[in-house]
Amino acid sequence: MPTPWRSILTLHLGILAALGLLQFVLPPFHLAMITRVLLFTTYAVGYNLLLGYGGLMSLGHAMFFAAGLYGAGLPVYYLGAGPGLAFLSGLMASLLLAALVGALSLRTTGVAFSIVTMMFGQVCYLVTISLNRITLGDQGLVLAGRLAPVRVGNWILPLNAPSVRYNLALLLLATVLLVTLWLVRSPFGRVLVALREHEERTRLLGYDPFPYRWLAMLVSGGISGAAGAAYALLFSYVGSAFAAVLYSILPLLWVLLGGAGTTLGPLIGVAFMTYAVEFASRVTSAYLVVVGLTLVLVAIGLPRGIAGGLRGRWWWLP
Amino acid sequence: MTFVSQLVLALLEGTVSGFILALMSLGLSLVFGVMRIVNVAHGEFFMLGAVLAWWITTATGSFLAAVIVAPLAVMGMAIAIERVVLRPIRYSPGATIVATLGLLYLLQQMTLMLYGPEARAVTPPLGGTIELPWFGYARYKLVLAAVAAVLLLATWGLVRATTLGLRMRATQQDPEIAQAFGVPIHRVYRAAFALGAGLAAMAGVLVVPVQQAHYLMGLDGLLLSFMVVILGGLGSIGGTVIASFLVGWIDGIASIFFTPTVARIAASLVVALVLVVRGGGLFGES
Amino acid sequence: MVVVAVSSPLGWNLPPLLETVGLRRVFDGLTAVGDVDVRLYRGEIRALIGPNGAGKTTLASLITGRILPTSGRIFFNGREITRLQAHERVKLGIVSTFQIPTVFRDLTVFENVVLAAQRVRLRSPQDFFRLREGDLLNLVQEVLDRVGLQGSWHRTAGSLPYGHQRLLEIAMAMALRPRLLILDEPTQGLAPEEITGLMGLIRGIAQETAVLLIEHNLRVVLELSHRVTVMDRGRIIFEGTPSEAELDPTVQQVYLGVGGGWN
Repeated sequence: MPTPWRSILTLHLGILAALGLLQFVLPPFHLAMITRVLLFTTYAVGYNLLLGYGGLMSLGHAMFFAAGLYGAGLPVYYLGAGPGLAFLSGLMASLLLAALVGALSLRTTGVAFSIVTMMFGQVCYLVTISLNRITLGDQGLVLAGRLAPVRVGNWILPLNAPSVRYNLALLLLATVLLVTLWLVRSPFGRVLVALREHEERTRLLGYDPFPYRWLAMLVSGGISGAAGAAYALLFSYVGSAFAAVLYSILPLLWVLLGGAGTTLGPLIGVAFMTYAVEFASRVTSAYLVVVGLTLVLVAIGLPRGIAGGLRGRWWWLP
Repeated sequence: MTFVSQLVLALLEGTVSGFILALMSLGLSLVFGVMRIVNVAHGEFFMLGAVLAWWITTATGSFLAAVIVAPLAVMGMAIAIERVVLRPIRYSPGATIVATLGLLYLLQQMTLMLYGPEARAVTPPLGGTIELPWFGYARYKLVLAAVAAVLLLATWGLVRATTLGLRMRATQQDPEIAQAFGVPIHRVYRAAFALGAGLAAMAGVLVVPVQQAHYLMGLDGLLLSFMVVILGGLGSIGGTVIASFLVGWIDGIASIFFTPTVARIAASLVVALVLVVRGGGLFGES
Repeated sequence: MVVVAVSSPLGWNLPPLLETVGLRRVFDGLTAVGDVDVRLYRGEIRALIGPNGAGKTTLASLITGRILPTSGRIFFNGREITRLQAHERVKLGIVSTFQIPTVFRDLTVFENVVLAAQRVRLRSPQDFFRLREGDLLNLVQEVLDRVGLQGSWHRTAGSLPYGHQRLLEIAMAMALRPRLLILDEPTQGLAPEEITGLMGLIRGIAQETAVLLIEHNLRVVLELSHRVTVMDRGRIIFEGTPSEAELDPTVQQVYLGVGGGWN
């Protein structure tokens, strides 16, 4: 059946519009929270491309987020680069890393792939720690004051204005969401899904798995890096914590919770977990318990996540 | 210190950590061999062994009590986990990784809540040093090695010579055929998982007088265990033990010349590249 | 080793489409396929028969590239393909179906066939990112019409009855425009009417494509194939027309020895 583009686009544009309108009713604290939610959703959408559609569970994706983060933050801090250039630099860094990591790790599949990506992720984290003099490791670099505002035509948008942040984050998410939507519905996307469903059958239809998966990793890493670059620029901070294994596991959790293989699932997962962690952190310093518990429950009870369950009923949800 | 004495010290330390690593890695390898799952939370059993050992020793004043009770407590936890978490997801590889990642955080954070973020030490039950030509070496460490050696031999004996061991080996070979021959698969899985956890916990208990107990100590152990298991061959006892010492010695020598961070970078790269080169069929899917 | 007098039905005097030379595959000491020389010609329907464990599926897997031989060589259209990867062989025109119909259960019939059709239709990298499914519609339509599934195009493959899943798999194979089509026990599990329908379909396909048919159903073999290759324990013990095979004592022995008779 030809894809019901009308319904899909309407749903996605509707949600984006709702998010756009949301900013006018949110108090400042939640405005900042949702900005972070939007950025992490972008990260999750990137991750979802590889996990939900490609069927590959990477446990080291933080390295791509961090490549974007540092790739944007370091030029700003040390070279006074403007935001546009810095963003592109971050994106490039993550794309290069994804190309390299993909070429190596995609020679494995399944559990081995997960372990290999976890190891590469660890290496990247440790590199940010050991290059302490440049990155200031865990302490991180604060970019405030070094960041020029974004210039669009005659408008000057300072990056520390909450509404500017919100809208830029929303713009990034919208772009990434629509790109992903297009990609998974294209012939390329179909092959990717077929490889996930039954690799050997797809091979015997004449498809070589490697180039498809490598490309998927490239796009996935690039989107994650874009989110990282945006985070550096919008929150004016760059630190090793974002390269640590927690930030590789969080996207897994977000996507599984919201439903892997759906485009909107990540949004649900990120929103839920971000608020859950926020509330937990007010109660105990061991707030990551929430992460642990949710992971276990999701593994046992909700293998398709929330949106995945919805998909059973409304099959056309992409 | 002279170079020779540094080297000897590194080798001794490497041997001791080799024994600890062997216990821990054996647990991981057994679980993978018999159950075909990777337990990412394995390091947390090690940590729990250490933390419980500290608690019991501090509460009762007897390290021996800790040696007996802590591993049993951890094994009990493992049995519960197997029943409540692993069996419902039917040991599927992807779900197990997610679930055990969750357990990792759960166990770690609960320990943080109850034990706190500090690192705490336990005085060795056996004080004193043995005088070597270059330096004095803690007597406890030698006892540690001896106890570990006994445990390794006991595990080997269990696997080779008991009914349980036979069932484990049969399940490892082919679970379906084993089941057809009347082997109670679920009980074997439970036993394997508990044994794996117990070995890791024991490693933690033995290490506490030497190295402080800290809620994050499971992670380093996990990385090195992965390294051992991947290099030494999953499910092979002999290979695991040999690889443990190799890794222990290399780690010991490397830590003289390199910072811990660099050593960890190297270890992670080794694990990744071995898996990449071996083509990824290592964990059973290919 | 049996020396065979070749009388190829339609591809007279033409070089063989597929040729194996001394093909051998050993698994852990067991010789699944040993010293097999086979020649298939354009336009023929060749049946590959033999008792269970004779090595028929292994031979098919060697031809398609699912497994690589221990020794020996394979040629297709004059070109050596011994070490060529499976997906490359598909592009050359060697297409196969699985013993159990393997389709993408969660995708619709239409989407399943599109996956195969786009392999043929989409040539350059850019094609893979364009979206107009209309381009492929004709090929998909044609193929579904030929197998008779045009009415079910919107149903998920997993919801189809077994016989229809088999037809879907064949449709997918046809969409790949094969030069050699390998069917592994296609009539297994089908009702008699379905078998008759399938036989008609295969006859139609064989007009353009050589067919290698692994079968246990002797009626199908006798009625459908031009020639028969009989395997036992990894070796070819007979090649000839179906009626010759029926009468040959070695062949009878092999079948009688195993299960008692031809069925």
